Amino acid sequence: MNSPLFKLPNYKALASGKLDLLLPLALTLLAAVLLVMPQLVGLVIVTLLTRIFVLSVFGMSYDLLRGYSGIINLGHALFFGGGTYIAGIVFANFGVSPAMLLLAFVGAVLYSMAAAFLMGKIAFRGGSVVACAMITLALGEIVRHLAETWRSVTHGADGLTFPIPIFLRDRVTFYYYALVFMVVMMLLLRQFILSPTGRVLMAIRENEQRAIFLGYNTAAYKLVALQVAGIACGLSGVMFALSSRFANTDLLTVQQTLNALLVTIVGGTGTLYGAIVGTAFVQLAQFYLLGLRALHPIFERWLLFFGAIYVFVVLFMPTGIVGLYFRLRDTWARRAGRN
Amino acid sequence: MLRPVLNLEEVSSFIGPFHIVQGVSLAVYAGEAVVILGRNGAGKTTTLRTIMGLLPLKGGKIELGGTSLAGLPTHRIARYGLGYVPEDCVVFNMLTVEENLQLAMHVRDSETRGRLAYALDLFPDLKVAYRRFAANLSGGQRQMLAIARTLINDNKIILIDEPSKGLAPIIVDRVAEALIEVKKRSTLILVEQNFALACAVGDRYYILDSGKSVKSGIVRELELDEELQNKYLSVGA
Amino acid sequence: MDTFFILLINGLADSALIFLMAAGLSIILGMMGILNFAHGTMFLWGGYTSVWVFAQTGSFWLGLLAAVAVGGLMGLIFERLFIRPVYGRVTAQILITLGLMIVFTDLARLLWGATALPALRPSLLDGMVVILGIRIVEYRLFLIGVGLAVAVGIHLLINRTRIGMVMRAGVQSPEMVRALGIDIAKYFSFVFAGGAALAALGGALYVPLVGSVWSGMGMDNQVLAFIVVVIGGMGSFVGTAMGSLFIGLTGALVAWFFPPAAVVVNVLLMALVLVFKPTGLFGWEGKSR
Repeated sequence: MNSPLFKLPNYKALASGKLDLLLPLALTLLAAVLLVMPQLVGLVIVTLLTRIFVLSVFGMSYDLLRGYSGIINLGHALFFGGGTYIAGIVFANFGVSPAMLLLAFVGAVLYSMAAAFLMGKIAFRGGSVVACAMITLALGEIVRHLAETWRSVTHGADGLTFPIPIFLRDRVTFYYYALVFMVVMMLLLRQFILSPTGRVLMAIRENEQRAIFLGYNTAAYKLVALQVAGIACGLSGVMFALSSRFANTDLLTVQQTLNALLVTIVGGTGTLYGAIVGTAFVQLAQFYLLGLRALHPIFERWLLFFGAIYVFVVLFMPTGIVGLYFRLRDTWARRAGRN
Repeated sequence: MLRPVLNLEEVSSFIGPFHIVQGVSLAVYAGEAVVILGRNGAGKTTTLRTIMGLLPLKGGKIELGGTSLAGLPTHRIARYGLGYVPEDCVVFNMLTVEENLQLAMHVRDSETRGRLAYALDLFPDLKVAYRRFAANLSGGQRQMLAIARTLINDNKIILIDEPSKGLAPIIVDRVAEALIEVKKRSTLILVEQNFALACAVGDRYYILDSGKSVKSGIVRELELDEELQNKYLSVGA
Repeated sequence: MDTFFILLINGLADSALIFLMAAGLSIILGMMGILNFAHGTMFLWGGYTSVWVFAQTGSFWLGLLAAVAVGGLMGLIFERLFIRPVYGRVTAQILITLGLMIVFTDLARLLWGATALPALRPSLLDGMVVILGIRIVEYRLFLIGVGLAVAVGIHLLINRTRIGMVMRAGVQSPEMVRALGIDIAKYFSFVFAGGAALAALGGALYVPLVGSVWSGMGMDNQVLAFIVVVIGGMGSFVGTAMGSLFIGLTGALVAWFFPPAAVVVNVLLMALVLVFKPTGLFGWEGKSR
């Protein structure tokens, strides 16, 4: 495979001719299916898929930090929830004209940039991964706390409902917007990763000390990564607002950040599409499990399952679904090569 | 035919993905001092660490008087009677000299106390600094403490990695004297870059090159063989 | 003047609680290099257990004991089953302990419900005491006493016992400790269980102060503990004690004069300390794992 999305180039040598065709074929098929989907299924599935598209960007933005730059950000939800709230507050207070939509996006971007700047300045001073994790956790909790207490604006833990621009209200229409959003964001993030800055970030992920010795101002690079990830995340928050028309402080919790973390672990870290795969998997699992509520109340405890899946995956499947795919493909290719 | 107290056969071990030790074989007999020589990166330290179980054994055999040490955890290996003085000493800074020595004790009986007294006689500096925190010791004192630690228990074999590193020549002489004393009670395996120290203390030698044991013999003979020294021990070849 | 004294007592009592919570975290971090993100849930379970046992048996002290036991047990189980397999992999440790945090917090919610439960003080400590003409809440004095006792106890443990020696040595080089024939894994289990028990004790003592126990308090207090550890310096026990004092006292001040700012102030303080001393007030260079 010559696609630069794959971060393990040595597989190029191992993959047999047959497998090389499989992936682009599968992707084209998938694209076709997705385009036609709304005509085939009910609104429930359409909404589910829309959620997957939007939340994939959330996951990808998270993996930009963890998978590509080696940064663990436990306060990532502040970008997501922040974006959602900003959109919600704009729509609730200033109306739903296209100008307000623009304001929502711009507001979310500005907020994300400012928050990322502050966060990066404080968190990356700590030095170690551990310190960074702790500090980002604390910062995320601060934002959540602020949102909870600033009731006049955010309505606190009860949450804020708001209208959205008329032309986006149709679920099917929004489905396509979300799909385009996901694809565009993925391409943009991919460009960033392939850029010289992205390369430096990967070097930092591998060995930050060495990068420092080579003369790179690693803190500055990490700050840039945080900015990019934060903005992408904030945008996904706005899209989420447009999808759910509701915002509450749950979107700013550590659990929300862990959602992103989970999907990157399940799907496969260090690859953008891993976040997409993971999001799809987790959302489908959640949908299915919650659907089983009728059978037994234990399925109500989504959080329990979530945590359990999470621990299981970290322990036994650290490379995620995509990693599993690579290992299998590697084995098949080797077997094919031998025969 | 005398059985060796420690026997390595085609030992192979890795540091991460790097195959550092690719086939080291050596035998150590009771009461002698074996020096392991070789250039930087030849695998000397890695060999010691593999013996101590700090690195997993990926190939070959390590036998202590017939018992295989493969796969055993480090603390079990140490309890079999192997003392270890790593490169850079690693004395515990947050413990006093006294505590460093106490920590090493396996049992608290009169024999152990006797050995403690012996160690302190061997290194009088430590008696003076007994209550001082190890962080405040000089380089030479730290080295002595590290060696003294291995004398507390009835260790049959003591592995020492580059004791002369970073020490002033006069201190190195003191260390050599101490090691010759220690040799009387225990078997020594010494990794050293300082050829003079190695020759003063060692009886037999093994030379490692690129992770393999390539030559062995009697130290006296190596001392006289300049050609051999240049071939395996000098800079750039 | 009276206000000052009351604020001082409040601050010290808060410091004691924060210290209990943060001490366990700090010791585990210092000795094992593990950041226990499940700490908050141990705090939580300590709170719930003590309340439940108190309600069942009528004995506050039995409740405390039960909390410590539950915390210790949780610590042992977590360490054996979930921490050991990922020892050395920092990211995995963070992730796993976070996952455990979520699971066990939700488990608590399952067992005890989502609404807050009342937490009572024992009748022995339920009143006020008059010192120098000022009315002080008895329970707060009790907390200060416990905090001091625990601090002294830990100090003695670290500096006067063999376990403490192993711990101090283990912070520097677990490898060398093993090379001395000591199975440091057993000590790790002890340390982790001990840290967990401390957190649980913190929870058990905290709930009667605020009057109730609720499922969100785990994460809130965990964040506070993290802030203290960062300010005090990761891996420094003295630093944690000082950090707790600092945060507790400033917290009491802020709570008195401008309550909403409480959480923000703590983070600002942390940011401030990091700007001037990135390794924390008592932290040392080269200790980052």
